[in-house]
Amino acid sequence: MATEQGNWYGDDSKVENLRGRAFEATCLAATAFGLVSVLILLLYVARDAFRPFSADVGWHVTYAVTLLVPLAALVVYYYRSDEPAGEVAYVTSGLPIVGLLLTGGFVVVFTELLTVLEWFALVVSAAVALGLIVAHGRLRPKAPLERLLVALAAPVVTLLGTPPAQFNWLFNDLTGVLGLGVELNHQVISLRQAITMLPFAPTDWVMLLLTLVLPLAAAGGWFVGKRRESRRDGIAVVALTTVVAAFGLVAGPLLGVGVEGWVLLATFTGLPVGIYVEGVVRRDEGRAGLAFPAVAVLGVLAGSVAVDALGFSGPDAWLDWGFLVSAASRTPADAGIYPAMVGSVMMIIVIVLTTFPAGVGAAIYLEEYAPSKGPMGKLVTLIEINIGNLAGVPSVVYGLLGLGLFIRIMAWPQGSVIVAGLAVGLLILPIVIISAQEAIRSVPDSFRQASYGMGATRWQTIRQVVLPEALPGILTGTILALGRAIGETAPLLMIGAAASVRLAPNSFFDVASMMPRQIFTWSSELEPAFRHGVLAAGVITLLAVLLVMNGTAIVIRNRYQRQG
Amino acid sequence: MSTETSGPEITSRPSGRAARERMYRYILLLCAALSILVTVSIVVLLVWNSISFFTSVGLVDYLFNPEFLISRGEFGLLPLLSGTLIITVVSAVIALPTGVAAAIYLSEYASERMRSILKPGLEILAGIPTVVYGIFALVYVTPLLQAVGLPVNTFNTLSASIMVGIMIIPMVSSLSEDAMSAVPDSLRQAGYGMGATKFEVTTGVVVPAAASGIFSSFILALSRAIGETMIVVIAAGSRARLLNFAEPLQNFWQGYQPMTAAMVQINGAESVSQIGFSSMYAIGLTLFVVTFLLNLASNRIAARYREEYE
Repeated sequence: MATEQGNWYGDDSKVENLRGRAFEATCLAATAFGLVSVLILLLYVARDAFRPFSADVGWHVTYAVTLLVPLAALVVYYYRSDEPAGEVAYVTSGLPIVGLLLTGGFVVVFTELLTVLEWFALVVSAAVALGLIVAHGRLRPKAPLERLLVALAAPVVTLLGTPPAQFNWLFNDLTGVLGLGVELNHQVISLRQAITMLPFAPTDWVMLLLTLVLPLAAAGGWFVGKRRESRRDGIAVVALTTVVAAFGLVAGPLLGVGVEGWVLLATFTGLPVGIYVEGVVRRDEGRAGLAFPAVAVLGVLAGSVAVDALGFSGPDAWLDWGFLVSAASRTPADAGIYPAMVGSVMMIIVIVLTTFPAGVGAAIYLEEYAPSKGPMGKLVTLIEINIGNLAGVPSVVYGLLGLGLFIRIMAWPQGSVIVAGLAVGLLILPIVIISAQEAIRSVPDSFRQASYGMGATRWQTIRQVVLPEALPGILTGTILALGRAIGETAPLLMIGAAASVRLAPNSFFDVASMMPRQIFTWSSELEPAFRHGVLAAGVITLLAVLLVMNGTAIVIRNRYQRQG
Repeated sequence: MSTETSGPEITSRPSGRAARERMYRYILLLCAALSILVTVSIVVLLVWNSISFFTSVGLVDYLFNPEFLISRGEFGLLPLLSGTLIITVVSAVIALPTGVAAAIYLSEYASERMRSILKPGLEILAGIPTVVYGIFALVYVTPLLQAVGLPVNTFNTLSASIMVGIMIIPMVSSLSEDAMSAVPDSLRQAGYGMGATKFEVTTGVVVPAAASGIFSSFILALSRAIGETMIVVIAAGSRARLLNFAEPLQNFWQGYQPMTAAMVQINGAESVSQIGFSSMYAIGLTLFVVTFLLNLASNRIAARYREEYE
């Protein structure tokens, strides 16, 4: 800097900005280093999985003209002049994908895990059990002990039934001790089992309509009705969903997805997309974004027609429909990932049913109840520190835990879905707890005080004020944790998940393989067709699932952070 | 509470309610206590199962035997520790400077727009499954290193370490960035007021002020590298050996089997002796203790040396 006038007391070295610039550039390069190298590696994997260079040049040109150029033009337009539309485009393209993934998950559940009739029986019995408990509470509100008994007995009667007849002595001894004089000589089956044994049953799609479509449509209707403060809109959503789902009776077979496929599609893909699109149109904000998925679909259709007409052959990709629906095989061309995918889906079900409630419950306790003083306060501090430490325990140690606890001690079958789900579930438990704690902590205290001021108890406040407010945050954290769970491999190796299976697991106690386990098996194959083809296809499948999950989590986070 | 007054009944079920409140409280406490139960069962399980190992092999033999070969009944920790050491050191050399530089960029230099792109990008790096990183190392990085002319074997520590390093960058960068963002702006402005350049403020004020956070992120990252399993199982080979001091470079070209990989191999082996199988728990216990101590140290450093600002 020029210091012509006055006295300059500093030393004579010049102030340079070269050093600063170089430093900034170095730091930027360091930030980009990991990203760029992984991106390049991903491009290599994608090349191996899709083999784009095996396609005719004409094929590339055709799709570039019909699909890529219009989409790129739209992206530039959104970026330049219509940002809300860009977000609408993002969500309307992503929502069907998430919906399709969920649909696929449920199709897997219904083909592999339980029949529609079993599902129907399960839902009806659960509803009856809940109804019994609620009805008792209404009829005899001042009998807490009786209520506890009902709450315990109702699920037994409707869902579980009594244990097999050889355990009847247990019940008889118990009643003998109590002097009740009731004897049990046969196994009493539950309502659920009774329903599955009915000689007549409604057709599958009617049962799905009653037990899957209606509840979800009701949830959607409740959501819309609450958001718009209009009961009529909510009822319209329910009615429309039901009609569209029922329409599957005609449309399903025509489209070749079957009636049940259509019903699932309508609920998991049609319902959310419909609600979102309708909202965009009504609010008139970023309507141009709806063009993006439309152009994409039209582009694909036009492209495939043109390619057929011109006789160009597409790429001979490893990752195709056949890969997704066929089982593992010794010949690379036949190898697929379907059974491993089913294993992953079922593992996720186990985790959602066990880890999610336990983690959120722990977070609620730590944030809402935990005392900060006294012996309990010490215990709570210990729990907090412990959770932090558990998050740093290597995943392979959780595998040992699963092996020792569930296979050695509980004697559950080695490599079964339930063991895998519980081991990986324990692994992500600290992550779920920490993220749920953050979500609960971000609910302002004034909300709680307002609720207490209205005379609500602590639990009522939590259930009706804190949890609904914290739900988006909890969901985001949980989905991210589930993403971690899907990709976790080391615990699966330790609990002995199958290297590869030909048949998808049909129950939670079946031995199964999961996607990362299957991918690991392929990585030890030496044949180039495996190492560069099937393996790459598996990696891309796994990453695509993770991408969709993380994308969903981020969209939920962005939407609700802005509102908050 | 009494409900005999003639007013509207706003508190139904007065006796049941308190009991229910208590019940929910205890159920939730049970959920929170589950985490303690997990830790306890990990410790009990590892200790219980490795007792038979330590009684028959002996702690001294385990710690100082220079061989690890289950088929010959050699259970030395040193070869496995060598593998873990190489992987951890090389990945640290890659990840620690890179991570801190990234944190400096994100916290001090990046525009809002760059931040909104780079930060989720780094989060994505942390979200990629480790089995995928392992495949990157084995199928793509190792051939690349060979093509560049390095004399690496099919299984080598270098490519595995590179991938472990890239995997732990986000951990260093996000924790360090949190520490740097916590440095109050008044300190920076004081620096500028003294005539310092941005470079001088960053390296002379912000980084020293955030040093404890940066250091604790280093330790956490090291602990992650030590416990990393799939990358080394896939790419670092299955041969346990001691560090090669005669030809140091061989340490990078050859495959080494770190502790985690040894556990996976023992567990997956077709036939393994009883004592061999229990060595898996002993290694697991060692691994657990090491990572646990590192995590504890990281927390302590972050808590004790944190500079408190108003």
